[in-house]
Amino acid sequence: MAPIVSGYLGLSGTPATVADTVAYAIAISILIMAFDYFFGWVERKTIAKIHKRHGPTYAGKYGILQNLADFVKLLSKENTVPKTADKLVFLITIPLMLSISIFLIFLLPFSPTLLETNIGLGLLVVFVLLSFMPLIIFANGFGSGNKFAAISAQRSVIMLLSYELPIIFVIAAVGALANGYNIAGIVNAQSKWWFIVLMPVGFVVFFIAMLAELERTPFDIREADSELIAGWLTDVSAPYYTLALFLDYTRMFLGSLLIAIIFLGGWSGPLLPPVVWLLLKAFIVSFFIMIIRATMVRMRIDRLLRFGWIWLLPLSLLNLILTYVVFIA
Amino acid sequence: MVKLKIDRKDIAKMAEELKTKGYSYLVKITAVDYEKTLEVIYIFRDMRGNKEETLEVELDPADAWVPTLIGEFGAADWYEREMSEMFGIEIKGRNAERLLLEKWNGKAAPLRKNFTWNAPYETSD
Amino acid sequence: MTTRINIGPVHPSTHGVLRLVAEIDGDTVVNLEPHIGFLHRGVEKLVETRMYMQSPPYMEKLDYIAPMSYDEAYVATVEKAMGVEVKERAMWVRTVLLELQRIASHLLWLGTMANDVGQFFTVFMWCFKDRDLVLRLLQEASGARMFYVNMRIGGLIRDLPPGFEDRAREVLDYLDKQVKTYADFLERNPIFMERMKGVGVMSKEMAVDLGVTGPVLRGSGISYDVRKDNPYYVYEKLNFQTQVRSEGDCFARYRVRMLELRESIRLVRDALAKMPAGDAIGMPVKLILPNAKNRIVSVSRELPRGECMMYMVADPQKPYRLAIRSPTFINLAALRHISRGCRTADIFAILGSLDVVMGDCDR
Repeated sequence: MAPIVSGYLGLSGTPATVADTVAYAIAISILIMAFDYFFGWVERKTIAKIHKRHGPTYAGKYGILQNLADFVKLLSKENTVPKTADKLVFLITIPLMLSISIFLIFLLPFSPTLLETNIGLGLLVVFVLLSFMPLIIFANGFGSGNKFAAISAQRSVIMLLSYELPIIFVIAAVGALANGYNIAGIVNAQSKWWFIVLMPVGFVVFFIAMLAELERTPFDIREADSELIAGWLTDVSAPYYTLALFLDYTRMFLGSLLIAIIFLGGWSGPLLPPVVWLLLKAFIVSFFIMIIRATMVRMRIDRLLRFGWIWLLPLSLLNLILTYVVFIA
Repeated sequence: MVKLKIDRKDIAKMAEELKTKGYSYLVKITAVDYEKTLEVIYIFRDMRGNKEETLEVELDPADAWVPTLIGEFGAADWYEREMSEMFGIEIKGRNAERLLLEKWNGKAAPLRKNFTWNAPYETSD
Repeated sequence: MTTRINIGPVHPSTHGVLRLVAEIDGDTVVNLEPHIGFLHRGVEKLVETRMYMQSPPYMEKLDYIAPMSYDEAYVATVEKAMGVEVKERAMWVRTVLLELQRIASHLLWLGTMANDVGQFFTVFMWCFKDRDLVLRLLQEASGARMFYVNMRIGGLIRDLPPGFEDRAREVLDYLDKQVKTYADFLERNPIFMERMKGVGVMSKEMAVDLGVTGPVLRGSGISYDVRKDNPYYVYEKLNFQTQVRSEGDCFARYRVRMLELRESIRLVRDALAKMPAGDAIGMPVKLILPNAKNRIVSVSRELPRGECMMYMVADPQKPYRLAIRSPTFINLAALRHISRGCRTADIFAILGSLDVVMGDCDR
């Protein structure tokens, strides 16, 4: 296991064996769960403080065991499937989305030496698989057998129309700057200047579009809990609900990692091991996303479409053109 | 408050007259059960001068119906429905569905004096 | 091709038991029918079987967000039937308490409205914390936080405790700043503004035709406030303005209530400064109206939600008939007309701006 440990800390590089890769996969999964758990606690406490209240305090010191308690409680409940639902579609959605998200995090290199999972077109693969999510939700909406889920699913696909193109154009600009879509290559191309400095407009567009992709406020139209009950999660029973919560945080982890890798220099930074730098940057981005949740109002779906097409898309095109003009030509 | 006692056949005409005079705000339509008679009360208000005018109509409980005012006053919609299901007064001119009491098919209307609390009643279930 | 959605009696947001049957074509609402009556308790019939001063608890449970206002409206009706004058100081104290009640009610409305629009409970929590301060003041004055029952014929059950004025002033100064902060917080948010502006427009003619009251009416350009146009207690001696907005959309109604909130804070300060000394205790509970067979009285009050008119036919010991014209009932009837053609997400913005309390609606 020594190569893995030293690989994490960025101390030396060795080619991978199957055992190493499996160990890496397990390590990443544990990392994701730890992040989800820890970030869940951070979110509850921080939003509570913004609300001028305390948040969880009883379970463990400072409420750190609260998520564990909720997890255990929810898992111990009965799993029900509505009669009008298509059982396979209904049950497979959340685990499928969760596995795709974990797989995508698995594809991201966490340090300059852990490059076993670095694919040539890594970034493109990530975004192609990410855009499958709304389609899976769409299938789930119709397999759920209730109207709220169907409407939620429709809204999810409509949202897809508004944020997907701006993301693609920003990725194109990133690929141009970094001479390829290799994720490690993108991080290495930021050794002089982080891309947030080189493409500020692109950063803003990407951040907002990622918020829509992750379905966080102000774009949490799918879950909209004061409107259509819980949208697609209306009929989901307790054990699957835990997976849905995990899914939410895992996607946020994925989104923050992507933003940190593409714009904030990935794992580069002095003193601390690269992995720590990457996680720190991802954590800061997640924190920012969370504060937006506490303060922002939800957008209406047609407004979101207008916003996507009138603001995000032209800005992302502008960003692409500027990047070419300034840096390539 | 000006009170006018009128006949049932004059309701629609009086309401229209009041509306043209400026009493275009309908405050309340309600009824009182005086055992021998039912009295239906319409209260109109003139928003400009804050004057109110009340129309009182006496009905025979056995032949309890009033014409609808929904053509002129949109507010009459729910008031009439509530009054009709609480007092058993029919509203001629519209088929008013149940508003407050869903699936209730009782023999006596709730707010009448002959409504006994423990009497058996029928429901549509 | 319309879909029928049932936004059922059980909601995740705090609207009370209201069932909305919406017919939706894509994202546009074709027809919206409110089904009410889930909270119907037969108050108008119950009151006919109780003696006069046994009924205030029933009245309070109608509008459970501003209970004292209904309590006071009912007691005022009985006083009018009796021909009893309210004591001078009691009038001032009642005004102060009613305006505090209005502040508390509008704070709750602000929180739930922000919640409906999608603001994830932040403004809700802040408003509830501030409402708690006002409830504490009301607890000092009456002994209870929610169902006060502190009105008696001709006055109150007890006078304001000593030091009330200073504590009230502290709370009001704090609230003044907080309300400005909340208004800023929401109005500087362009997403909030675009969700409220132009949504659920009710024109002036429509407002009068549909018979709506309160901030809904004033948000559509009609300047009618019972406190100004049909004044009771000491409102004539206090200077305040009726807040009117002419656009008639959700934002106008929101703005009217925010301005009313600030006016109420000013009113309480004014009333506390001008209050005369004296006795505010009312008569004891046992009460008979001699020679009062079928005496008819009618009293109008301005509740936080609108105008409430109590039409009572009085008997010697109990009301023969009490007809309550509740503001929410008629405001909710207008929902169907103003939500035609709006988007699904707008239903809740409109509902929040109408400020519905189902206890008041169903009685």
